[in-house]
Amino acid sequence: MELIIKNLSKTYGNGVHALKGIDLNIGTGMFGLLGPNGAGKSSLMRTIATLQEPDTGSITFGDIDVLTQKDDVRRLLGYLPQEFGVYPKVPADVLLDHLAVLKGISNRKERKALVEALLHKTNLWEARKKNLGGYSGGMKQRFGIAQALLSAPQLIIVDEPTAGLDPAERNRFLNLLSELGENTVVILSTHIVEDVKELCTDMAIINKGEVVLKGNPLETIDSIQGKVWTKTIDKAELESYKQEYVVISERLIAGKPEIHVYAESRPDDSFSDVQADLEDVYFSKIFGVQEIAALA
Amino acid sequence: MWYEILKFELQYRKKRPATYLYFLILFMISFLAISTDTVRIGGGAGLVKENAPTTIAFMMVIISAFFMMITSAIMGVGVLRDFEFKTESMMFVNPISKKDYLLGRFLGSLIILIFAFSGSLFGFIMGEFMPWRDADKLLPFNLWNYLQPFLTLVIPNLIFSGIIFFILGALSRKMVVVYSSWIFLFVFYQVGVNMTSELEDQTIAAIIDPFALNTVQITTQYWTVAEQNSQVIPLSGNMLLNRIVWLAIGLVVAIIGYFSFSFNVVRNTWFKKKASKTKEVADTQITIPKAAMSFGLSTYLRQTRMLTLFYFRQVFKGVPFQAMVLCGIALMVVNSMYVGEVFGTYTYPTTYRMLELIGGFNLFFMIILVSYTGELIWKEREANINLIFDAMPMPDTISLVSKFFGLVLVYLVLLAVLIITGVAIQASNGYFNFEFGVYFSNLYTDTLFFLILYTLLALFVQVMVNNKFLGYALMVVFFVAMAALRSWGVEHTMFSFAAADLGTYSDMNGFGHYVPGFSWFNLYWFGLAILMFAISVVFAVRGSEAVMKVRWSVGKLRLTRPMITFAIASFMIFSLSGCYIFYNTNVLNAYQNSDESNADQARYEKTLKKYEYLAQPKIKDINMRVDLMPKQRDYLAEGVYLMRNEQDEPIKDIHIQLNPQPNFSYEYVRFDRESILKEEFEDFGYMIYELKEPLKPGDSINFEFKTMFETKGFEESGGSTNVVYNGTFFNNFDFPGIGYNSSVELGSDDDRDDNGLEPKDRQLPQDDPRGLAMNILGDDAIGGVGFEIVMSTDEDQIAIAPGYLQREWVEDGRKYFHYKMDVPMEPFFNIVSARYEVIRDKVTVEMDSSSQEIDLEIYYHAGHEYNLESMMTSMKKSFNYFGNAFSPYQYRQMRILEFPRYSSFAQSFANTVPFSEGIGFMLKIDDEDDVDVAFYVTAHELAHQWWAHQIIGANVQGSTMLIESLAQYSALMVMKAEYPQEHMQRFLKQELDRYLSGRSTEQKKELPLQYVENQAYIHYGKGAVNMFAFQDYIGEDSVNIALSRFIADWRDYDNNGRYPTSTDLLGYFRVVTPDSMQYLVSDLFEKIVLFENKTDLATYQEVGDQYVVSIDVSAKKFEADSIGNEIEVDLVDWVDIGIYTESSEGEDSLIYLQKHQIVESKTSIEVKVNALPSKAGVDPINKLIDRNPDDNVKSVSLAEELSS
Repeated sequence: MELIIKNLSKTYGNGVHALKGIDLNIGTGMFGLLGPNGAGKSSLMRTIATLQEPDTGSITFGDIDVLTQKDDVRRLLGYLPQEFGVYPKVPADVLLDHLAVLKGISNRKERKALVEALLHKTNLWEARKKNLGGYSGGMKQRFGIAQALLSAPQLIIVDEPTAGLDPAERNRFLNLLSELGENTVVILSTHIVEDVKELCTDMAIINKGEVVLKGNPLETIDSIQGKVWTKTIDKAELESYKQEYVVISERLIAGKPEIHVYAESRPDDSFSDVQADLEDVYFSKIFGVQEIAALA
Repeated sequence: MWYEILKFELQYRKKRPATYLYFLILFMISFLAISTDTVRIGGGAGLVKENAPTTIAFMMVIISAFFMMITSAIMGVGVLRDFEFKTESMMFVNPISKKDYLLGRFLGSLIILIFAFSGSLFGFIMGEFMPWRDADKLLPFNLWNYLQPFLTLVIPNLIFSGIIFFILGALSRKMVVVYSSWIFLFVFYQVGVNMTSELEDQTIAAIIDPFALNTVQITTQYWTVAEQNSQVIPLSGNMLLNRIVWLAIGLVVAIIGYFSFSFNVVRNTWFKKKASKTKEVADTQITIPKAAMSFGLSTYLRQTRMLTLFYFRQVFKGVPFQAMVLCGIALMVVNSMYVGEVFGTYTYPTTYRMLELIGGFNLFFMIILVSYTGELIWKEREANINLIFDAMPMPDTISLVSKFFGLVLVYLVLLAVLIITGVAIQASNGYFNFEFGVYFSNLYTDTLFFLILYTLLALFVQVMVNNKFLGYALMVVFFVAMAALRSWGVEHTMFSFAAADLGTYSDMNGFGHYVPGFSWFNLYWFGLAILMFAISVVFAVRGSEAVMKVRWSVGKLRLTRPMITFAIASFMIFSLSGCYIFYNTNVLNAYQNSDESNADQARYEKTLKKYEYLAQPKIKDINMRVDLMPKQRDYLAEGVYLMRNEQDEPIKDIHIQLNPQPNFSYEYVRFDRESILKEEFEDFGYMIYELKEPLKPGDSINFEFKTMFETKGFEESGGSTNVVYNGTFFNNFDFPGIGYNSSVELGSDDDRDDNGLEPKDRQLPQDDPRGLAMNILGDDAIGGVGFEIVMSTDEDQIAIAPGYLQREWVEDGRKYFHYKMDVPMEPFFNIVSARYEVIRDKVTVEMDSSSQEIDLEIYYHAGHEYNLESMMTSMKKSFNYFGNAFSPYQYRQMRILEFPRYSSFAQSFANTVPFSEGIGFMLKIDDEDDVDVAFYVTAHELAHQWWAHQIIGANVQGSTMLIESLAQYSALMVMKAEYPQEHMQRFLKQELDRYLSGRSTEQKKELPLQYVENQAYIHYGKGAVNMFAFQDYIGEDSVNIALSRFIADWRDYDNNGRYPTSTDLLGYFRVVTPDSMQYLVSDLFEKIVLFENKTDLATYQEVGDQYVVSIDVSAKKFEADSIGNEIEVDLVDWVDIGIYTESSEGEDSLIYLQKHQIVESKTSIEVKVNALPSKAGVDPINKLIDRNPDDNVKSVSLAEELSS
């Protein structure tokens, strides 16, 4: 099954142009959707999850027209929204069972087994009888993951799933995702580059409602390999470097800014070369894109 | 510092739209209430001006009490805002003290609160200046009349309730607690009103009301029209005490609240303990098992069932919900103590009474309905789980359907709880005839359907406006709009959402004929409601977008074939049943709104009034044949009236008034001699026949008619209750009459003015010969008629009319009765038919020189045996008393006939008294304490056999004194022989109250008893009190002698050639009254006289084995004019002085009661008694009209040995 998104555009009532002609083909396996806050990731994901209407464009999943055959999509869908709440006075197992019924899992035994397995899987078994109102942020997030995995979905959309998880939990979750069958389309939106690098066979970076890059993470890294240079500078110099070079990222190392610069060749000797990684790709696409375009 | 916080609060609120919204709401409500009829709150009646100070005070205090939601919102938000926005941490870390924080916030909110409620002040003031106000109904503008109640009533109410809400908010930190606490306050108020309404001393009632609503009511209950128009409610006495008490309670609450409030962010009680860390590591080896997904009807049903139960539990488990239900039930239990009260006596807690009680829960149902529809519609979105929920693969309908079913389940359970409460109340009163059928068939149809329809409406509103609070507001607007629509003349039930009338339940007639109309109206509204539901499903928000355009584009996808079919089907149900209803109510039957029917009445008067006093022949003999078809609710009536020309001139034209209602058709209307129909006013059923040969003086003519009354389909109003399945009762006003019928005329001056008619005098003056020549039953006959009737009815029913049974037989499965009266009677007869049980008895009345045997019968509904004995006893005692005191009974039989409780009265016809099942039959009389109302009403109605059927007054002012006041007197005398004086006092006080409250709402003018114009508070209330006083002063025997002479002289019309008036009666009274008491005849009957008698001090000293009681009395006497302006007059009156002693059981009984002449406004009286006095005072039995009857008697204290 393949998810095909064509020319998807959306403008909100307040004038925000959230999606601008998105085209994406997403096959089975893990697909990473990278982008900064406000890039349109969540809008895109909600649209795929049948919860929002685009102004133009189409989405198909296999033979299914996502925009009109909503119920057919929902039967195959596992969705974890970026932000969600729970009924505070309901215990986790009860709510999960409740949601399982809504998923159409009618057999009581099967449902029980499934709910128990998912609670174990998400490490909520011990706390299953607790009211969800008493859950910590991480526990709640794990509950969200559990509900998204009900009913062996063929299309999984997880919006910022690792937010709020501690590193161990994050690993466990990513492992869980990677275990999912080969035949599943998994769309993972995140602004954490590592997540994508570790898991995804395919990815896209979107910014300001547009797809700025599509491809295999490793291949995209290759594409900028040898074009990223680094230098540690003084704070006072930062502005002038930004004027002069395509600075794609900066971070403080021991109080001094270390900048990454994109250039076809080494700008000067004070720059040293650096092993480019996905983060550089990301930042180059997000911050450096105009300059790169100008250079090209 | 607190000042800074206050300033911040004001700054913040200044920018909030809510502040202005509240102001605007209160402004509009007050403006509309005072200046239009659209909103009605309290308000004066009749002569009380629309801007009278008491009217304004009443409206203001009602608004301040009933808009507590606004108080709770403003005060609650003031203290809870930090918790709601989770800014409390930021707030509390600042270096402010608890005192500054609370004081600043409280005062700031209070100022905003007072600002919001000043909307009401300005609304009232603005309303006064609107050009459409009728200057005749307004006093000149006086700002103080508005400011005074605002300062003394509204602001203290706001301070008190504001403190309560603020402190509750501070302590609970939950908005729902604040919101629901106003319901508690309301219930507390209601319970207080109910519990204290029975108390003799209304001081407690006046103080216990936190809103002073009841206090205003009690303070002004006996204020005359003049006082209401001129005086503001003084801040003194009970009113001052009430204000001080509640402000003090507020202060105490504030202090307690202050010390309980914790300034910490985290409080153990409000936050769950940290979860203990579980160290378990996820079992990653577990594989997720496969679970089959199925989609189809059975899955959808399972999902619906699960969600329904889930929503049901969400509602039912909620604390505010439970609190509301408990309050409603508590109110019901308290109210159950006052069910069906008549003169301080209560009825048995029959199931229909319990249903009335449960009706009191409707307000709570409406609150639950409106708020929880909103809650459930927003359930997922408020929990923020909506995106997960909306992405679930279930059909779009399931969510809304389940929410709807969840609410219906709530109602089903609540109704069951209410039934259990009702049954428990019945059982605790020792009444075990639980009619579950009646409970269920009423609550699970009428109430449940109403709730379902409004729930569907509320769901529709919530979905369409997609804003919870706007949805709530729109529902309130909807209720107001419904009421407004009615006041603009759109009164048809087809325009009144969810209106369907199941009618009054009667033990005799069950739900009777109401069921078909009820069912059709419900079908009609369900058609509409389900259509709205379908639209709601289409437009329901699913997903993250709520813009109408998007909802429509998504909604189009939901317009599946079944959905469209469903919507079309419900629309068809709505429109087709609407057509059928219209056919029934407006085609088969006639429908008019009140304006149209008023206009018709006015047209009748304008067109035909000229014929009012036209000379017509008088009926001498009535011969009727009536065939009742109770199952069809039809009847066929044939009649022959023998009429004679009693004038000196020949009569050429005869005017016949037929019943103009469309249910009546006439096979023939004719005379036994040649005539032509000269003129016909078809709309009014008014026909003028011209006789070929004029009717010469003394000649007779037969008038004959045959009419068919047919019940066709169902009517808008539920239909006539004249002919019903079991319990038919109607009178001869259904049949043709002679000439113009003035009772059709519009009575209220407002309605007359609207229709271009001059105000109308209620009755003719006593010297008008036209009035003297007719009695108050009309001018169709003079001096009585002969009467004979043959009736048939269903075989299992008994049909009864005046007269003696000549024969009864069965023919063709129908039962026939032939009645004939052997002496002339008034042309006023009833037709009654029902499945009756009968008890029979006899009484032999021994008079001076003769004796008379009277057959007594009571026709009653099986199961209503409770008070038959009491009624029977009353009949025996009454006939004995009246026969001896007044004159022999003109008939030889009396029958009491029970009829369904569609009306609550008893009425006296010749040898027949129809008596409603709603009064008397089901009263629960506790032998000792209660006034036996069944006994009293029976005696009163029997007295009418004399005072209406032996003596009937001329149709002029004072006529009802001759009928009702004398019947009251007669019944009182029968009771007096049965009950001790202390019991009589309780009864008289009720009548005194009826008079005093009646005169404060007089529509035109108060008149002395002598000139009473059919004013119930005068002829019943004052009539009873003054007639009792009169016999007390001049002696029962003397009064009875006067009455028997009056009957002897005036019973025969021809003796005097006219009917008697009250002035004639007073002549007889004066003859038997000693000279020293002549003033009393004037005071009691010819003037409006009131006293202010009071005991200032009562002490006693022991002298030997006797006690000398010294009583300081102040007394004043006033004469009032027709609107209550009083002038003090000289006092030379004989007044009772009474002394009580306390028996060993703690009951007070009179040991001394003597009249003393009082001539000074302050008098000291000394009396020697033989027993230890407990209480003493002036006029202790309330024989005189006294506006403060409670201060007449005081406890007696031991006098100080040495007084300086």
